[in-house]
Amino acid sequence: MNKFAALAAVSTLAFCANAAQADPLKIGIIESLSGAQTSSGRLYATAVQYSVDKINAAGGFNGEDIQVVEYDNAGGATGAADKFKQAVADGVDIVIQGASSAIGGQITEDVRKHNLRNPGNEMIFINVGGEAMELTGDKCQFYHFRYTTTAPMRVNALVSAMKEAGDLGTKVFSINQNYSWGQDMQSAIESAAQDGGFEVVDAVLHDVNKIQDFAPFVARIKSSGATTVMTGNWSNDLLLLMKATGDAGLDVTFGTAYLDQPGNIANAGETALGHYIANNYDNTAGDASFAEDYKAVTGQNPIFVEPQTIFAIGALGQALEGLDFGGGAVDVTKIALALEDVTYESPVGPITVRKEDHQTIRPVVVSKVVKDAKYPADDTSMGFQSVGVVSGEDAIYPVQDSCQMKRPN
Amino acid sequence: MASMRNLILMAAVLAVLLIVPPFLGLGWQNALVNILIASLFALAFNLLSGQAGLLSFGHAAYFGMGAFATLHLMLAVEDGLGFPTPLLPLAGALAGLVVGLVAGYFSTMRSGVYFALVTLAFAELFHSLTPHLQGLFGGESGISSMRMPWQGIIFGSVLEVYYLTLGWVMLSILVLWAYTRTPFGRLTLAIRDNEQRVRFLGYNAHTAKMVIFAISAMFTGVAGALQAISNETANYALFGSQISAQVVLQTFVGGATIFFGPVVGAVSFTLFAYLVSDLTRSWLFYQGLIFVLVMLYAPAGIGGVVQHHMRSLRRADWTGLAKPYALAALGALLVGSAVIYLTETVAVLFGEEYSVNLRNAAGAYPGYHLFGLSWSPVSPLTWLVPLVLAGVGAVLLFKVRGTIAAKWEAMGRPETESTKAPDAAKLKGGAA
Amino acid sequence: MEFAIISTLNGVTYGLLLFMVSAGLTLIFGMMGVLNFAHASFYMLGAYVAYAVSSIFGFWAGLIVAPIVVGLTGMVVERYLLRRVHAHGHAHELLLTFGLAMIIEEMIKLFFGDFPVNYQMPDYLRFSAFSVYGTDYPFFRLFIGATAVVMFALLWGLLTRTRTGIVVRAAERLPSMAEALGHNIPIVFMCVFGAGAALAGLAGAVAGAFYPTNPNMGLELGVIVFVVVVVGGLGSLKGSLLASLIIGLFSSFAVGLDWSVASILDLVGLGGWAHSIGGLLTLELSSVSATIPFALMLIVLLVRPAGLMGERN
Repeated sequence: MNKFAALAAVSTLAFCANAAQADPLKIGIIESLSGAQTSSGRLYATAVQYSVDKINAAGGFNGEDIQVVEYDNAGGATGAADKFKQAVADGVDIVIQGASSAIGGQITEDVRKHNLRNPGNEMIFINVGGEAMELTGDKCQFYHFRYTTTAPMRVNALVSAMKEAGDLGTKVFSINQNYSWGQDMQSAIESAAQDGGFEVVDAVLHDVNKIQDFAPFVARIKSSGATTVMTGNWSNDLLLLMKATGDAGLDVTFGTAYLDQPGNIANAGETALGHYIANNYDNTAGDASFAEDYKAVTGQNPIFVEPQTIFAIGALGQALEGLDFGGGAVDVTKIALALEDVTYESPVGPITVRKEDHQTIRPVVVSKVVKDAKYPADDTSMGFQSVGVVSGEDAIYPVQDSCQMKRPN
Repeated sequence: MASMRNLILMAAVLAVLLIVPPFLGLGWQNALVNILIASLFALAFNLLSGQAGLLSFGHAAYFGMGAFATLHLMLAVEDGLGFPTPLLPLAGALAGLVVGLVAGYFSTMRSGVYFALVTLAFAELFHSLTPHLQGLFGGESGISSMRMPWQGIIFGSVLEVYYLTLGWVMLSILVLWAYTRTPFGRLTLAIRDNEQRVRFLGYNAHTAKMVIFAISAMFTGVAGALQAISNETANYALFGSQISAQVVLQTFVGGATIFFGPVVGAVSFTLFAYLVSDLTRSWLFYQGLIFVLVMLYAPAGIGGVVQHHMRSLRRADWTGLAKPYALAALGALLVGSAVIYLTETVAVLFGEEYSVNLRNAAGAYPGYHLFGLSWSPVSPLTWLVPLVLAGVGAVLLFKVRGTIAAKWEAMGRPETESTKAPDAAKLKGGAA
Repeated sequence: MEFAIISTLNGVTYGLLLFMVSAGLTLIFGMMGVLNFAHASFYMLGAYVAYAVSSIFGFWAGLIVAPIVVGLTGMVVERYLLRRVHAHGHAHELLLTFGLAMIIEEMIKLFFGDFPVNYQMPDYLRFSAFSVYGTDYPFFRLFIGATAVVMFALLWGLLTRTRTGIVVRAAERLPSMAEALGHNIPIVFMCVFGAGAALAGLAGAVAGAFYPTNPNMGLELGVIVFVVVVVGGLGSLKGSLLASLIIGLFSSFAVGLDWSVASILDLVGLGGWAHSIGGLLTLELSSVSATIPFALMLIVLLVRPAGLMGERN
């Protein structure tokens, strides 16, 4: 409570009430554009650029083109904090980040503090990939919007679709990375056990992207007797795990969250066949025009985190349509309020913002890796085929108790 | 005379640092805060590596500890502890000192390469362990806090943070500089140059090295604290090898043998990152290239080169040198442009966007835009440009190099040659 | 029992892979006293060269060309870069290799992008060698292990049984004396550095086909290789082998062991107290398995810096 009193004191003392801003709306992408996570960061940036180009082609906003500025956070929260300040200096109105929950946590705090200190000159953080629960829990705030799923949404969708397909089994092994996202996944898997009719036979949390050889974990999966492995692992941690499982000839089905990361399918090879992923979108789930348009512009099918990013900017564009600042100063709070009311029709279903915690209520698509796919991944013949779409109402979970959002007056 | 000149120079720099920032944009104010922090970090690191000749590859450990300690104190202040905000870096200093004493006790049992490896092991130990200690280090997302107002100062704006940082950095630099003038500071240099003799003189070399290590860690902790105050956050990545590497790079590019050398390195690298990192994706490549070139051609660093010239300010035949120097600069510029041209061309041609265009063009090699011009990968001009640039530049450099060397030779060498590496004797390997 | 046998097999092959990479590093250090920070980058370079060559000329061509290219790169680095800064001492050599590591990593990103590349073993090598308790043991693991063993035998034989080996060892012990006897020591050094780099390149070419080949693979393996070399004893080939196996086995077994300090204290009835303290006491071994090697490295450096098998203390 003390914290809040102190923050209130700061905000009243804040001297900078300068409401005048540059006319064009500025979007700042603070992503990992160098370092180990470059590959993910680059995809978010491409997708944002694609969507903003669309809005600009339709006339932009406030009489100007929307500007996009890229900032390289060098893969760390420290770099992000630094670039956030640069973004403030450049007059950015909306910040976008997705590659990491840790960086997302940093940016949402930075935005909160900035808005406290600069009333009338606020910023919005559109989170397109940070899925840690705390971002809409402990750290939830009015100016943060999460345009992606979270662990329970992905897990519940996986469980229901895999159960329907008869691929779930009764013995599930949970293996996740030992940080906020992985821990969220593990607890989501454990709490889905009862409804899914399975038993979590073993659960393990391991170091993030440090393990070279997953064969020991496969030995552990084997000795647990599990038939299904559920994991929120991404990047190398997923790839190595699947490869090691395939090499050991272990017959388990994977339920994953990030199997469609570029390079995964090619690297895993035949091993990847038959495994599941729960995601925000799949090219085989919606109507094809979205994927075709994206391919026409960028030369590739939308994949991995690109669709969710495009939907987020699409929703933003929709919010902007209803606003008119007459070429004058941009009022970010009004944009945020408008965004709360947007229903964005994505190719797989509507996406709305839940006002209590700014988590989006959105459909979750479950797909399976198949041969001779319609949209082949990584120049292989394999690709994803959707097996089910869980609607937003079914996928969503209650607002977390820890979220106490302060709305603007 | 020289010291008078230095004093005036420093007063001028300080005056600029005090007066100019309010007139700068937010971006530059931020950059200045980062430069100040990096400078202090590099100076503190150099106390150990340059002055005592103990090359540490794990200084991120003390930087991170300083940051976390400060954040915990900030959290306590948020909860009502009446601790004045401007004194927060004391927490970082204390944390750095304590951790530095412990790590220093063990590290300095070894010397040379083995010392470097112990420090590396400590930092990696912290880096791999801290994300698991949720309570203290906040897991992967780390911990964050907010600067609280104190005595009417809000510490909300970058400018306020800047002046706070400036104050602490200047104070620390003053203390570090004064340290070199104390008998213990002299002992530090003696340990570097001849540890055995120090021992024969009756000093306990291990204790001395441990104390030096701890002092270095303490000021590193202050730098970490200042970063924590500026960013209001810290996570375990602060213990990463990148942070340790960066300070090594900065210090040695700037020059480890000169007191202000590390500052030169810190300023140039931080500025480089500020100006270039959003301009090109290959900025880390350029940074590595610059580092290797400095190691090869100016082993004493930029600071060493500057000092070399300052020392000969009066004796040198500047009019005679001006022409070859200008030619050398031109040569370097030409070769540099060729390298940048080639790097950026490769980045484009091997980039994802181009591979898409290539696929769409069905067999032909489509053109691309770079530096505001259009190029075609099959046109000879595209490849002739860097070839000519590099060729002319290389010839120029090669020719001029001999002339410059001959001119300096003719003037005689200054009293102490700055290219002498201090730690040559120390890092022969072998754990004493 | 099942877990133990499988873990042992896995641990041994992973250990042998570590040995392949660290052999070159320890050779270079033993000979020249240079702690080569770019060594893991040579490993990565090997994988990428093998990938590039194999996509045109096939897997085996890649396997042969990669060590040659990387070895030549190593020789150039020694001859034109390291030798230049040699006069300034080992610190500068170390810093130079450090800068080189950065350059190599960024170059690879420049040419091959940030994503993992699709470097695969040929399909006819993708079969299971045998099966224990229903778990297949991939042939390629045996292949990695066998390559490492052959490499060790060859190196060992070369260094101890041949004339070249005698010259090399002489150059290490008493360079000036060896030089006085008419041996060209700079050439020896250049060749040793090249050979060390080539070994790393070979390891990269072999392991890259099994593990993902991406621009971080050097970074990921780099530090652990230092641990191996230090624990085994800087410069000792046998020590490296032993340490690689220990670390390989350890990381293999640690995964299955949910031990923590608290669970040990449970045995004496103090578990509740330990759980209430939390922090370090309740960390499970499996979740800190990445930390243990560094702790081991630290202990070795402090207690026995010569390592397990090193000669000089």
